[in-house]
Amino acid sequence: MTGLAADRRTFLKGLGVLGAAALVPGCATTAPSPGSGASSGATGELSLQSNLSAQQAKGAMEKLVAAYNKTGGAQVKLNTVASEIYRTQLPTYLTSANPPDVYTWYAGSVADSYAKKGLLLDVSSVWEGLGNYPKAMQTLSTSSNGEKIFVPTSYYWWGMFYRKSNFAKWGVTPPKTWEEFLAVCKTIQSKGVPPIGIGLGDTPWVASAWFDYLNIRINGAPFHRDLLAGRGRFDDPKVKAVFTKWQEALPYFDPKGKSFPFQEATSALLGGKTGMFLIGTFFADSAPKDALDDIDFFQFPIIDPAVPVAEEAPTDGYFASKKAKDPEGVKKFMTWLATAEAQEIYVQSSSGTAIPANPDGKSADTPLVKKGKAMIEGAAELTQFFNRDSSDALQPTADAALTKFLDKPDQIDKILKDWQAAAQKVFNA
Amino acid sequence: MNRLKTVGYHVSMGLVSFLWIAPILWVIVISFRSFDDVAANGLGSLPHSFTLSTYKQAWEDADEFRALINSLLVTIPAVLLSLGLASMAAYGLARYNIPFRRTVLLLMLMGNLLPPQILLIPISRFVELIGYYDTLIALIAVHVGFGLGFYTFVLHGFMRDLPREIQEAATIDGAGPGKIYASVILPLTRPAMAALGALSFTWIFNDLLWSITVIRSGEKMPVTPALLGLQGLFVSSWNVIAAGTVIAAVPTVAVFLRFQKHFVGGLAIGAVK
Repeated sequence: MTGLAADRRTFLKGLGVLGAAALVPGCATTAPSPGSGASSGATGELSLQSNLSAQQAKGAMEKLVAAYNKTGGAQVKLNTVASEIYRTQLPTYLTSANPPDVYTWYAGSVADSYAKKGLLLDVSSVWEGLGNYPKAMQTLSTSSNGEKIFVPTSYYWWGMFYRKSNFAKWGVTPPKTWEEFLAVCKTIQSKGVPPIGIGLGDTPWVASAWFDYLNIRINGAPFHRDLLAGRGRFDDPKVKAVFTKWQEALPYFDPKGKSFPFQEATSALLGGKTGMFLIGTFFADSAPKDALDDIDFFQFPIIDPAVPVAEEAPTDGYFASKKAKDPEGVKKFMTWLATAEAQEIYVQSSSGTAIPANPDGKSADTPLVKKGKAMIEGAAELTQFFNRDSSDALQPTADAALTKFLDKPDQIDKILKDWQAAAQKVFNA
Repeated sequence: MNRLKTVGYHVSMGLVSFLWIAPILWVIVISFRSFDDVAANGLGSLPHSFTLSTYKQAWEDADEFRALINSLLVTIPAVLLSLGLASMAAYGLARYNIPFRRTVLLLMLMGNLLPPQILLIPISRFVELIGYYDTLIALIAVHVGFGLGFYTFVLHGFMRDLPREIQEAATIDGAGPGKIYASVILPLTRPAMAALGALSFTWIFNDLLWSITVIRSGEKMPVTPALLGLQGLFVSSWNVIAAGTVIAAVPTVAVFLRFQKHFVGGLAIGAVK
C-alpha cells in the first residue's frame, strides 16, 4: 500500500517536473512580436486555411501542398483547423485584419454570401483557362454581381445506398420510379427489416436530403433554388405537395433512426438492420473495408417524368480573401488547383469517392464512382444541398421543421407555417 | 437489521458510483476497439476486438504531444498568474480599509455573471488590435482576466476570516504589508489556494471556447481543439477520439489526485464559521 502511494507520488513529481520543463521554453517560444499572425505576408508565403481535418483528407491536402511548393513560386503554408471550429470561425477569419489568403469551402450560395459582403477576391482571371468546366460549375462559382469568386476542385453525389447481397437475399431490384420504390419498401418490410434507414440524432441535416430530392423531383430544381434563396414561400401548396408525397414513404422509415447519428445509421445499413439509406458518398469512409465492395446505390426514384432530372452534387473547392497580400500569387495557386493534375493528387489520396471538378481529371476507377459520375453527368440540373443552396443560417430552420414532420406527420400545415416564419427571420436578418 | 442496512447501503451506493463511472468506462472500452469493429457493430455493442493502435493514431494524427505541451504552456502560467494576482488583490481588499473595496469586489463578481459568449467577438477583435492574435500569450491573458474576479472573491472570503491578531503580531514584529502577505497570509491561505489551483487548472485545461477564439493556427491549438480535429467533416473515428480523450484527461486527473486532499478540505473551509 505504502509502496503504491510512493509510486504515485513519484509519478506526480515526475509530471510536475515535466510541467516545469514545459514552462521554461514556453517563455521563449510564446513571446510574440506584435502583428505576427498565422499568415506572414512579408516572406512571400501564402496561407491556406483548411477544414479537412479528417486523417485521410488532411494527408491528401499535405501532399497537394507539397506538390505545389515543388513547382516554385510563392510557398504555400497549410493550416488545418478542425472542421467544426472552422465552420464557426470562418467569418472571423475572413473579416480579421490579417486574414489567411486561401480557404477551402463550398460553391454556390454559401460562397456568394461572403462575396456580397465584399470579402472575396475576384478570380475571374483564373477562369479564363477553365473553359472546359461544365456550365453548372461556372454558374456555381459566380457571385451575384457577376464576378468569379470560387474555384471548384471536386464534388460528390447523393444516392440511395444499399448492400447488393441483401437486395439479392430479399429478392428486390433497384427501383426507378416512386411506385417501384414503394413496392420495394413493402417487400423489405415484409422480411421484418425497416426499409429506409436514417440517422437524425446529432445530424438532423440528413433529413434535408429527403426534402431536397422530393422537391427537385416534384417541383424541379429552379423552384427549389428560388425557395431556398428566399424567393418562394415554405407554406406554398407546392411545398406541401412535397410533404404529402413524403408521407407515403414515412411508414417505411426506421423508427430507431431518430435516436442515432448518420454514422450509426451506416452501421445499421451495413449490418442489414435497414434496407436502404439516402446519403452522400462520404458515408463510405465509415464503412469497414470488407463491406465496401458489396455497396451499390440507385438514383433517387423519379416521381414526375415531366420534371427535368436534377441531382445533388455538392461541390467543394477554394476561395480567397479580398485582402490577400499577394493576389497574383493566390491566383497562380488557384489556377494550379484547377488543373486535372492537382485534383488527381487530392482525389487519389483522400477517401476516393470524390470526383475531380475538372472534366479531364481522372476519378477513382471503381464501378461505384463510375456510376456516380455518369449519373451526375446525365443530370439536366445540379443542386448542392440545402445549406449550400441557402445558407448555414437557414439550415436549422429546416432541421426543426423536418424533425417535427417526422414526429407528427399530420401537422404539415402548422409546421410549414412555422417554417416560413422562421425562414423569414433568417432572410430579413 | 443493522447488517442488512450496511449491505443495502453499500449495494445502492455501489450502483450509484457505477452509474457515475459508466460513461468513462464506456469511453475507455471504445478506445481499445478497432475502427472496423465500431463501424460494423456500432458504438453501443460489446467489444469484438482489442487494439492499442488507436492511442498511437491519436498521438500522431492529432499531434497530441504538441497539443498537450501547448495546453500546459497556457495552463500553468495562467493558473500561477491568476492565483498570484488574485491573492494579492484579495489580501488588499480583505485586510486593509481600502475605500470602495466593496464596490471593487462587487464589480469583480459582476464580471463573472456576464456570459462569456457575448464577449467572444470583442475579445477576438481587441486581441487582434493589440497584435497578439494567434498567440498563446493572448490565451493566457484571457484566462487570467476571466479567472481573476472569481478567485479574488473566494480568497477574499477566506482571508477575511483569518484572525486579526496574527497580522497585529506581525506588525509589532516590524513586518510591512508585503512581508505580512508573503510570510503570514499566503502560507495560511494554502488550502484555499490549492483547492482553487486544482479547480482553475481543470477549467483552463478543458477550455475550448477561448482557444478557438484567439488562436487560428493548427500548431498552436491546445489539446481540446486538437481533439475536435480528430473529428472528420462527416465521419469520425470514435475509437481514436476516445483514445485521444483518455490521453488528454491524464494531466487533469494527475493534478486532481495531487491536490485531492486540499480540494475536499478547501471546499469545507467556508462551511463552518
